[in-house]
Amino acid sequence: MSADVIFAYSRPKGRAGVRNHLLILSVVGLTSPAARRIHQSLPGSKLIAAAHGRGQLGEDAAAYRRQLIGLARHPNNGAALIVGADRRSADAVAQAVADIGKPVEVVTLDDTHEDALMLADRGVRAGARLTHALGRQRRERLPIAELFIGVECGHSDATSGLVANPLAGALCDRLVDRGAAAVVGETLEWLGAERALARRAASQEVADAIVASILRREAAAAATGTDLTGNNPGDENIRGGLSTIEEKSLGAVAKAGSRPIRGLLALAEEPQENGLYVMDGPAFSPESLTGFAASGAQLMAFTTGPGNSFCNALAPTIKISAHPETARRLPEQIDFDASAVLAGKERLEHAADRLLALVCEVASGAPTWGEILGESDETPARLGQSF
Amino acid sequence: MSEGGWSAVLIHPDDDVAVALRALEPGAVRVRRGDAVIDATLAEPIALGHKFALHDIAPGEPVRKYGDSIGVAASAIKTGAHVHVHNLRSERARKAD
Repeated sequence: MSADVIFAYSRPKGRAGVRNHLLILSVVGLTSPAARRIHQSLPGSKLIAAAHGRGQLGEDAAAYRRQLIGLARHPNNGAALIVGADRRSADAVAQAVADIGKPVEVVTLDDTHEDALMLADRGVRAGARLTHALGRQRRERLPIAELFIGVECGHSDATSGLVANPLAGALCDRLVDRGAAAVVGETLEWLGAERALARRAASQEVADAIVASILRREAAAAATGTDLTGNNPGDENIRGGLSTIEEKSLGAVAKAGSRPIRGLLALAEEPQENGLYVMDGPAFSPESLTGFAASGAQLMAFTTGPGNSFCNALAPTIKISAHPETARRLPEQIDFDASAVLAGKERLEHAADRLLALVCEVASGAPTWGEILGESDETPARLGQSF
Repeated sequence: MSEGGWSAVLIHPDDDVAVALRALEPGAVRVRRGDAVIDATLAEPIALGHKFALHDIAPGEPVRKYGDSIGVAASAIKTGAHVHVHNLRSERARKAD
């Protein structure tokens, strides 16, 4: 397959979809059990059952809502079924989906007078109609510039900083050079790598915003009265040879490649242009990946040292390891084995070309191990306490 | 590394520590530094991905990897010694003493 073409689902507005899910989204924890019933009755549907959605104020409420709307509008959804308690909040999400021309239906407890079984029945019927229609959509030949990729690392070891992250960075460079977009997040893991990131910023304003976001995160971590060592880097990082957050960060930022950083995104904020972005978000990978997905990333590149099974639910997640034992030990988890680069038997640039070809295959429909096994979820982050 | 004749690498030529590319036993080791290969002597076993000092580092001195500081020496570090959480301390996001 040519490295510049993908076969994907064209959308009325925004980037193409590399999958064509029916999304069942419960926008509040109250209706998540009913949403699970609906999901069980519609094989092949994707379920996002939010655990929260009420009793939230300020930045926490805004960010949570932004994540749910972003997930509902995700390019990989061919259609969305919104399940909620009250009409007003469910309709607000549905309207944001309708605004980009994506088929959407809403079912709420308001309509069924608090009858959750009737809610499930209406949801199954509405979801079946949406699935019937989205099955008529077809993949078409599209430029790779349609892609927006999230780049993540989880359970890193020293091989991540040596090979897997620089390899992900070389992938970012290739995608950005072809007009696509990429995002790297996990603000805490920029601690100690400020200079490395700031000197890549496209403007002084972006550099200042990046450094400010790092200092904010560091002050918040210090204010809890704990040392990061033992938490981040965590036990598996330390076993793998990483001693401090500075060391982990300097290895982690290699996955952003070498192109200019166009801007700093808030959690779940969609980039307005193509190119390379950084997202000010949580370092825990399930939350970080959901932040990327909610900003519209259709595909994830995820580096690991000893292995990490967790994938994003909406975006196929390509697992990459350069540890010589990991791909052999986890043949149904690691999608891309980069250990030949560590062994000096393959050039990084060659491996990056192979990885780009795999990205095109996955974007065109080839399943990742995580998709085959369903090792995936969405974990919208909370930015404050419950009231 | 069998291909190039080295089994550890300096990520940046100015680094104080090298990274083991496979599990290493005490004794002589070849270390890639940029386009050159230098000799070092390990004082103890070093696991894959772990790092060792290329020269003596005094307590409180910064330790460089990736050409940047990854923390300071918490105690005296001898040439060829394993550098890790027991003798290297982060300078970031520490709780107030």
